[in-house]
Amino acid sequence: MTDGDRGLFGLFSAAALMLPATVVAAAEYLSIDAAQRALFPAADSFVPIVVSLTPQQKQTIVELAGPQPPHGTIQIWSAMQGGSVLGYVLMDEVIGRSALITYATGIDIDGTLHAIEILAYRESHGAEIRNAAWRQQFANKNDLAHLQFRADIKNISGATLSSEHVTQGVRWIFALWETALKNRHPES
Amino acid sequence: MHPTPLRSRPLLNLLAVSVATLSMTALPAHAATQEELEAKVQALADEVGLLRSQLAKVTADQRVAAAAPVSTFTPQTTATPARGVPELPARDPGLSFFGYGQIDYARPTDNPSDSTATVSRFVLGINNQFDERTRLVSELEIENTVSSADDPGEVEVEQVYIERDLNDQMIAKGGLFLIPSGLLNENHEPTAYYGVLRNRVETAIIPTTWREGGALVQGNTSYGLRWDVGITTGFDLSKWDPASPEGLESPLGSIHQELALAKASDLSGVLAVNYTGIPGLRLGASIFSGDSSQGQAGFDDNRVTLWETHATWAPGPFEFAALYAKGHISNTAQINATFVGNPTLIPESFFGWYVQAAYHLLEWQTGSLRPFMRFERVNTASDYANIAPGLTPSSADDLDIVTSGVNFQFAQNVVLKADYQHFSGNGESNQVNLGMGYQF
Repeated sequence: MTDGDRGLFGLFSAAALMLPATVVAAAEYLSIDAAQRALFPAADSFVPIVVSLTPQQKQTIVELAGPQPPHGTIQIWSAMQGGSVLGYVLMDEVIGRSALITYATGIDIDGTLHAIEILAYRESHGAEIRNAAWRQQFANKNDLAHLQFRADIKNISGATLSSEHVTQGVRWIFALWETALKNRHPES
Repeated sequence: MHPTPLRSRPLLNLLAVSVATLSMTALPAHAATQEELEAKVQALADEVGLLRSQLAKVTADQRVAAAAPVSTFTPQTTATPARGVPELPARDPGLSFFGYGQIDYARPTDNPSDSTATVSRFVLGINNQFDERTRLVSELEIENTVSSADDPGEVEVEQVYIERDLNDQMIAKGGLFLIPSGLLNENHEPTAYYGVLRNRVETAIIPTTWREGGALVQGNTSYGLRWDVGITTGFDLSKWDPASPEGLESPLGSIHQELALAKASDLSGVLAVNYTGIPGLRLGASIFSGDSSQGQAGFDDNRVTLWETHATWAPGPFEFAALYAKGHISNTAQINATFVGNPTLIPESFFGWYVQAAYHLLEWQTGSLRPFMRFERVNTASDYANIAPGLTPSSADDLDIVTSGVNFQFAQNVVLKADYQHFSGNGESNQVNLGMGYQF
């Protein structure tokens, strides 16, 4: 290795040390409990619920949501405050390119979406979807017409599959809310 | 790969846990008003009703399922596991597969007899998740269909590396991996770029698909900055063939090693930064540098440096991209002196840049129609080191390429492409290209 090489590596090493880093846990960026509280900080409890869908409701969701990537497990909780339902937390998993991305979002009982939270990202490329600004694009959306990939939710160059598939997943979640959760509580 | 969905809990466990959970969450420790208590009781009654409904379904051994958006997907809307604090569902470590490919047809308008059709790439990727933090990523590629002594194809291990999450912002990888340079090198699937062929700048100047062996650390911040720092193998200048035109087609492409018994006496370093903190915008730059003499006789301190900067921006239905790349090889005069009389001497510098615009003319749920236009300027030998008066070659002319065409995505991750390329500067024939690409 020449002196030039050593100088170059020293420069790269110094640059690396100057870059921000926080040493915390592993690939699971957020626990479910933390995600729930991030989405509904005013809630005092989160009650797991099970949704039973009729074949007609299933068909309606398919039509509303549009094309979907493969999903994993979906879990739903009611966000409660003093016995009243504030909204719902929905945790979903979608394939990025070949691995599942675990994310969650909240929907107020009036149908207003919250920013999404990424709980676990397992792909080698595309982790840019964890950027706060990209996740924030989902906040305050309240209809499927304004949940279009590229038009409303911008693609991330270099993370196209992850950003498109998560957007499609959120569309499915919103269609589920509109079909099965919207009229679940008298408050809504 | 689909994980096993949560199984229904036995009847009694479900009841007991649910009632206990409701008791903890719905009944406050302090006294409440009559109205509050009534509200709590009502909430409990609602939940008990829900549980009864669930019990009936469990008894009938019917899983409660939500709608299936596509035939391959049956998501389960389920209650959380019976724990005090819910946890992420466990993922099954294991294999997953992906792939991409493209089939192209190219017809030079001045020389139709040179038209070609080929399966340019057929790539299968195999990933293995050893645990939540550790994974193998690999790609096996076949170019031009058939690889043998008498055929033009190649079989390549394009990537094979182990990646480990160090924490929630940093990952480390070791093995054969793609260099984070430019817009295409790490995102080279045919659905990811415009035009049937990859742009010339990121082929001739940045030798996409460019991979090296080594170790690299990547960081991602929550505000959108990604950085990569790595130490890798580099180029081998002794591979330069002055009798072949290959060096003028792609100076670095002709001396890359691809970790195939790569000479590794001299290592290289790479540093890259990319910012995507504003949705729709990407700004980035990278530098790769290392000695290519590899300790061989006749070569000394032949540093290869390639740097580039790039940007993409997607306002509304438009997409814009721009990139500039410049390469330099040091101390080439003495080597070139031994090559005098050959057609291809080693350039001291080379460069290329392009600007590109695309428009989402039509967009529907499963597809899009996107016309585009790109202007490129490439010079693979913009300067030579001075050998001696009369012996130093003249710089090559700039090659300008205007590519205009359309990407038609008729199904998710499947694209048809058509374009026309107009060349000026090196006598290349203009060309019509047709292609089909996919990714999964």
